[in-house]
Amino acid sequence: MVILQQLPLPLFFLFSPFVVALFGLLGERFGVKKLREVVAVVVSAVGVIAIYYLFLALNAASQSVPDKILVVSLMAVPPLAASFEIDMLGIYMAFSATLLSFFATLYSYRYMEHDTRLTEYYTLLSAMTVGMVGVAFAGDFFTLFIFWELMSVSSYVLVAFRRDRPEPIEAGFKYLVMSALGSTVIFIAMALIYGMAGTVNFAQIANVLPKMPLNAWLYLVFTLLVIGFGIKSAIVPLHTWLPDAHPEAPSPISAMLSGMLIETGLYALTRVLFITFDPATFRLVVAALSVLTMTFANLLALLQQDVKRMLAYSSIAQMGYMLVGLAVGTTFGMLGLLMHVFNHSLLKGLAFLSSGSIVHMTGTRDVGKLKGVGRAMPVTTMTLFIAFLGLGGVPATNGFVSKFILFGSTMETDVGLWWLLIIGVLNSAFSMAYYLRVMKTFISEPAEGVKGLKEAPGLMLGVTVTMAALIIIFGLWPAPVLNFADSASKALVEGLQNYIRAVGP
Amino acid sequence: MIDSFLYLGLVFALFSIGIFLTTRRNMIRILLGVEIVLNAGNLAFIYFASPLAFRTGYIDPLGQSIVFMSIILGGSVIAVALSLVVNAYKQYRTMDVRKLRRLKW
Repeated sequence: MVILQQLPLPLFFLFSPFVVALFGLLGERFGVKKLREVVAVVVSAVGVIAIYYLFLALNAASQSVPDKILVVSLMAVPPLAASFEIDMLGIYMAFSATLLSFFATLYSYRYMEHDTRLTEYYTLLSAMTVGMVGVAFAGDFFTLFIFWELMSVSSYVLVAFRRDRPEPIEAGFKYLVMSALGSTVIFIAMALIYGMAGTVNFAQIANVLPKMPLNAWLYLVFTLLVIGFGIKSAIVPLHTWLPDAHPEAPSPISAMLSGMLIETGLYALTRVLFITFDPATFRLVVAALSVLTMTFANLLALLQQDVKRMLAYSSIAQMGYMLVGLAVGTTFGMLGLLMHVFNHSLLKGLAFLSSGSIVHMTGTRDVGKLKGVGRAMPVTTMTLFIAFLGLGGVPATNGFVSKFILFGSTMETDVGLWWLLIIGVLNSAFSMAYYLRVMKTFISEPAEGVKGLKEAPGLMLGVTVTMAALIIIFGLWPAPVLNFADSASKALVEGLQNYIRAVGP
Repeated sequence: MIDSFLYLGLVFALFSIGIFLTTRRNMIRILLGVEIVLNAGNLAFIYFASPLAFRTGYIDPLGQSIVFMSIILGGSVIAVALSLVVNAYKQYRTMDVRKLRRLKW
């Protein structure tokens, strides 16, 4: 473990929204065309590289895996100051976020070209990514809450970005009220934890709270945390904003929201639950929520006529699968969860981007009106099918690998969640029903409006084909992701003592 | 102990009032409710940071600095929310949130 008193160079990436905004305004002022788009794409690519360099720095810091921790704290030593505590898990989440953000920004280059106010759009997209990276690195509740709100506020505006139509405004308002209430509930939970532990630093909380006997206050904190983070990560009784907000946002934003934002909520829930409680105490509650989430979402996804809305329900179902890993709570369960976070970010990102291409060319999201679109746009539809198959967990896609690990982890001895395996696999098989229904419609005899459609523009096609290729590659050769996720899950479960020690008693 | 009941009771009361307001029809009232719930959190932080809570004899600056930050964050959330309300009013010509039902389950 290494304590840094100044911001390491890769972390200057956190200031990237200012760069995008500055160049966007300069481009507007001096009439340089496409300056803001190019700068936004370059900045998001720099983000991926920055996280990679941080990964290298972390590897150089220490030899053993659970021991790799960088503490970044300005002006003072950690317990007395806000800090970043960067371990493998944080790097893993940040890498997934920046990679998806790069794809979404590149895709926006053509997808958003007919919209106005693009400087705001790219600045907010960049701010949302930075918020996710900050949440992943946060070493205390103070930092977590700031970046959480940065991420949330930018996403409110992005959901309601197309303000000339009523639906995005309505979805945005609904999302804002629910999510802002969720943030305030987290804030109250923070206050109670602060009252009990006397600090907001994660390491110090982990030193105090898990040793306390369970009392009413701890149950209250647990409830508030699950409600607060659960609203963001769309756990079922609290999911109602998601099927409205995700389809109404522009497609690259839908990809970011479904692919990474709700997973960031789950990451924060996981991190906070692991430092405040012993995994055995919350196992059954999370398992029950997981069953509820996946069953309910799969049933409702079957009824949807809107292709993006169906994908939104599918996202909720995938959150249910990920909660299986949290319910198990061992290293293997967390490995499944983290694998699925990364794989789902690619799969759902691709699904939203491909269906976004179709929506861009046809102007409708209704599955009935998109009959036979696969014959007019073969490549885009092919990539969409790869995403669907991956979401259903068909072998040779990366979705299979992570679901295999997730559901396999329930069979671990002394966990006693074998029934979750049965429900999970049945749900996963059932979910193929609605993917196959859409796939069948897309390759059947073309409808009138669909004939004579052109393939999506080259850049959008390039992004979707690259992501589809990554899905197949990581499905057949999962070793790189597996190793990365393995060290991340070890850092969370086995490295917890190191995480605590890094900041000191 | 009396203090603890008083202040945490006040936090709970503010929380309940806020949640109650978010079930109203008027959009501005809903936002007021959100803001009041946030202020319940602020009050809880102020209480736990004060010498009243644990008889420490000093004020913990940590809790107070968090409250300053949360006030700013709450303000920015409300600014975004009000701009959404203005846009919603332009589109729907009403402040009644129950009239906003283009989107169904």
